[in-house]
Parts: sequence; structure tokens; C-alpha cells
Amino acid sequence: MRNPVSSARRLGLPLAGLAIVATLALGAMLAPLLPLGSPTDIAKDLALGAPTVTEPFGRDDLGRSMLSRVVHAYRVSLGVAVTAALLAIVVGGPLGLVAGYAEGLPDQLIMRPLDVLMAFPAVLLAIALMSVFGTGALLVSVALAVVYTPVMARVARAAVLATKTEVYVDGARALGATVPRLVLTHILPNAATPILVQASVLMAIGILIEAALSFLGVGVRPPTPSLGLMLADGRGFMVQAPWMVVFPGLAVMLAVLGFNMLADGLRDWLDPQRGA
Amino acid sequence: MTSPWTYAARRLALAVPLLLGMSVLVFGLMRLVPGDPAVVVLGYKATPEGVRALREAFHLDEPLPTQYLRWLAGLTRGDFGLDFRQNEPIGRMILDRLPVTLELTALASLAAALIGIPLGLLGGARRRGLADRATLAIGLVGVSIPDFWLGIMLMLGLSLGAGLLPSGGFVPIAESPVENLQHLVLPALTLALSRAAVLGRLSRAAVLDVAQRGFVQFARAKGLAEHAVLFRHVLPNAAIPIVTVLALQVGYMLGGAIVVEMIFTLPGVGRMTLDAVLERNYPVVQSTVLVIGAMFMLVNLVTDILYGVIDPRVRHR
Repeated sequence: MRNPVSSARRLGLPLAGLAIVATLALGAMLAPLLPLGSPTDIAKDLALGAPTVTEPFGRDDLGRSMLSRVVHAYRVSLGVAVTAALLAIVVGGPLGLVAGYAEGLPDQLIMRPLDVLMAFPAVLLAIALMSVFGTGALLVSVALAVVYTPVMARVARAAVLATKTEVYVDGARALGATVPRLVLTHILPNAATPILVQASVLMAIGILIEAALSFLGVGVRPPTPSLGLMLADGRGFMVQAPWMVVFPGLAVMLAVLGFNMLADGLRDWLDPQRGA
Repeated sequence: MTSPWTYAARRLALAVPLLLGMSVLVFGLMRLVPGDPAVVVLGYKATPEGVRALREAFHLDEPLPTQYLRWLAGLTRGDFGLDFRQNEPIGRMILDRLPVTLELTALASLAAALIGIPLGLLGGARRRGLADRATLAIGLVGVSIPDFWLGIMLMLGLSLGAGLLPSGGFVPIAESPVENLQHLVLPALTLALSRAAVLGRLSRAAVLDVAQRGFVQFARAKGLAEHAVLFRHVLPNAAIPIVTVLALQVGYMLGGAIVVEMIFTLPGVGRMTLDAVLERNYPVVQSTVLVIGAMFMLVNLVTDILYGVIDPRVRHR
């Protein structure tokens, strides 16, 4: 029961999310080419300049352009989010596929240790990992990937468990398909959809957690423009120069919103039964 | 037929290896830290004698399994060991700070429930109405707002701007209940908002899900008034998933409390963890991470068990 109107409305949400994400990603990738000015050049005489037409986000305590810094910071935000999600898919996906297909002992051996990782709140585990790793964008990606791997494995495992009893899988097995062939051509495509939706959700959370870690001083290292670091810097000036805290926060929110809309829409669109 | 008690016992039995696994993970993680912890703690004051004394005092020269078992044996007696820096018992430090975190989490859960559930019920009951659209929009935007940023904005507007509430610090409830509450309003709201958004969305979904079931259609078909259908048939059945989701949010707040306690300078366990991470005070990190993790697990466990007790179908999964 899918009428064209509600179908179009359903498509609107993920498309809007995709548009936000694509615009931000494009801006971040092209940041050095855009006419923004340098994100790192210090201009003491312009320090704490209020937003103007040419500098809509104002200037920070060192006179750096906030707009340029926000756009450049997206490189870190999105880079970390994408890297973390990909790493989690690459590690967690196969683990989940094997666990779901084999069941029994291999399933237990793979999933029980992953349960331990999931038993901690995500932010807490990420902070604990960063306390071991040290700081830096790549290390944040790795820490997030560790946090996400069990999530991806569970999603992949659930998809395999649901699919492998389907008649067409039995049919393929009866026709003599090998296990790798069964998994890769018949089971994997069914796991791809939930993994894609989950990846989108995890990218939203990844942007939030990267910003939180950097804000707390256990994420990205200072010279790199990062939205969380900018918020941490801005806190000391928030009364004189509220734009130093307003814009980086809005920037985080916009990116997270984009990925959440994308995930929401994908979920409804790909699985109409769930989108009540 | 599995009885609720067997089910609860089985879940509890599963929690023990999980807890052990968590302790191994935390212990192992802290031993992965590059460099000699004794040198890290002593820093520039490190002399060979000082390092040796510290290593001996904290049994750092023993093999790792022995160190782990010593720590575990201590934990079972409630002894978390001594802090590297102040030489204070860590268990005492955690006990001093736990009430702050628990009060913050409790207030935030209350706020999230009071905001999120009515919104979701309203939205679900009048589908495609104004409240429904509002729930959806708040749900989407609410989960996208970084809570540390929301905290800063609330502080900027309500305490630094309007001067309505204190911008940080803490007053124990025994000293002045009113001031205690004043200091916790903004942190609790900060922590609650994104959780309220999640609760709103899921309450809406729960109501919509129940509303299309056969017994609701039957109640309507036999001529029962709409509000009676809602209060007698829809809401009681939607309550189970809503309560479950609420409990899960309580767990997530334990993680969020770290950031919120830092922004509002609350002396809780979350802030203690962060300070210890920044000071590289590993015995403290190891203990607080395990305590917060265990509380998170406990909340999830209790939810699981309650769910099984209320809804017999769960027990057979």
C-alpha cells in the first residue's frame, strides 16, 4: 500500500539529507580552493571581530576567519566519520557474516568478546581508548571504529540469520553452490541494506563523538581545525564573542542532521514496513 | 513454559562473564599505554629510586595475570586500590562522587520522560497532526544537537545572559536542597534533551504500532469512544516498549554525564574519569571506566529482566 504522494514525501527526507551531506562534503574537499582566506593565519588586530557581510561567522580570539575554520574543520569531521564507518564495516561485516553463517561455537567465539565492547557507553569507551592511543584524527577514527565494530557485526549477523533460511538460499545450496558463493551472491546483498543504514547512523554519531572528544581534549590535536576544538577555544570568550561557540556547534548539528535524515529516509524507503 | 524467575536467573548468569570480560578489557587497555606507568606518573620528578618504590608499592613489577587477579580480588571486597597521585583509596573517591552523577542522571531521566513521552503520545494519537509533525521534527533535530554545545548555549542564555541559574559548580543536597536543584537544572536539561527526542520518536512509533492492531480496531468497531480506546487499549500496550526505551536512555546518559559534568564543573564520576585521563592517572581511569560500564550494564540488565517479566514472549527468544 504505497501511494505515490507519500512515496514522494518519503523520498524527500533522504534526498534533503543527501543534499546537506553532499554540500558539506564538497565544501570540505574543495576548502583550500574556495575564496575563504586562511583558517590558520593569525591577525591579532582583527581578534574577536563580530560577524560582517564578508566574514559572516566572525573572527576568533586570534583573528582567524571562523567561516574558513568551520569549512576546513569539516575535513576532519567528515574524514573521521567516514574512515571510522568504513573500518567498522571492513572489520565488523565479515565477523558478523561468519558468526551468522556458522552459528554455534564460532558464533559464540566472535560475538561474546564483541558484547564486552558494547557493554560500555560509546563515549566512555572512546575516551578510554583515546587515553591509550594519544591524540590525532587518525587515532580518533580507529577508536570510533573499535566502538562501532560490534554494531556492524551484529547488523551483518542479523541479516545473515534472517536470510539464510530463505527458500532461494536453500535452492542455491541444493544446486551445489559453494559456501563462499552462497554468502557472497545470495546472502551478502541482503545484508548490504541494513549495513548502509547503520553506516549512515554511525557517521552521524561519529561526527558527534569526534567533536565531543576534541572538545574534551582527547581527540584531534590543536593546530588542526576541528569543530570540537573550536568550541573548546570559544568557551573562554563566549560572553564577548558568542559567535565563537554558536557557529561551530551549529556546524556539528547540521552535519549530524544531514546524516540522520539520510539514515531515516533510507530506512523508510528501503524497508517500507518499518516506516509506520 | 519458562518462569520469569528462570529467565531472570539466566540473564543474571550471563552478566557475570560479561562483567569479567569488561574488567579484562579495561585492565588490558590500561596496560597497553606506552611507557612505564611509574615514569608517566612521576613525570620530570622521576628518579630511579622513586620509580622503583612506586613500582613496588603498586606491584607493577609482578606479571600481568598476577596484577589482574590482585586487582580483581580487591574489587570483590570493594577495594579499588590506591590512586597513584594522591595515594587516596579510589573506592572512596568514587563513592564521594557517585551521588552527583546519580542525581544528575535521575533528574535528566525524569526530564527526558516528562518531555519526550507526552510529545510522542500526542504525536502518535493524532497522526499527521501538528503534534505529530512537531514530534518528528524535534526527534530529528533533538538527536542531532551535540549535548556539550547545548549545555554551552543554555549556560550562555540562561545563566550568563539572563542570570537565572548558576553556570556551574555544585551544592550537596544536604547543605541546601534548593541550591542543589538550581545547580542541576541546566546540566539535567542538557543531558535530557537529546534523550527526550529519542523517547518522543519511539513513543510515537509504539502508539502507532499498537493502534493498528486488531484489538484496537475491534474496540473502535464496537463503538468505544476514541479517548477510551486510547487510554484503555492503546497506551497500556504501548507502555512496554516506551519503558524499555526510557531505561536504555538512562544507560546512555551515564556516558553523556562525562561531558556535561565537565561543562558545568560538577564533581561527579564522569568528570573524575576525564580528569584522570588527562592526568594519565591510569588506576583511576581503570576503576571509573569499569564502574560506569558496570552501571550501564546493570541498567540494561534490569531492563531486559523487567521486559521479560512483563512480556512473556520475550522469554522464549
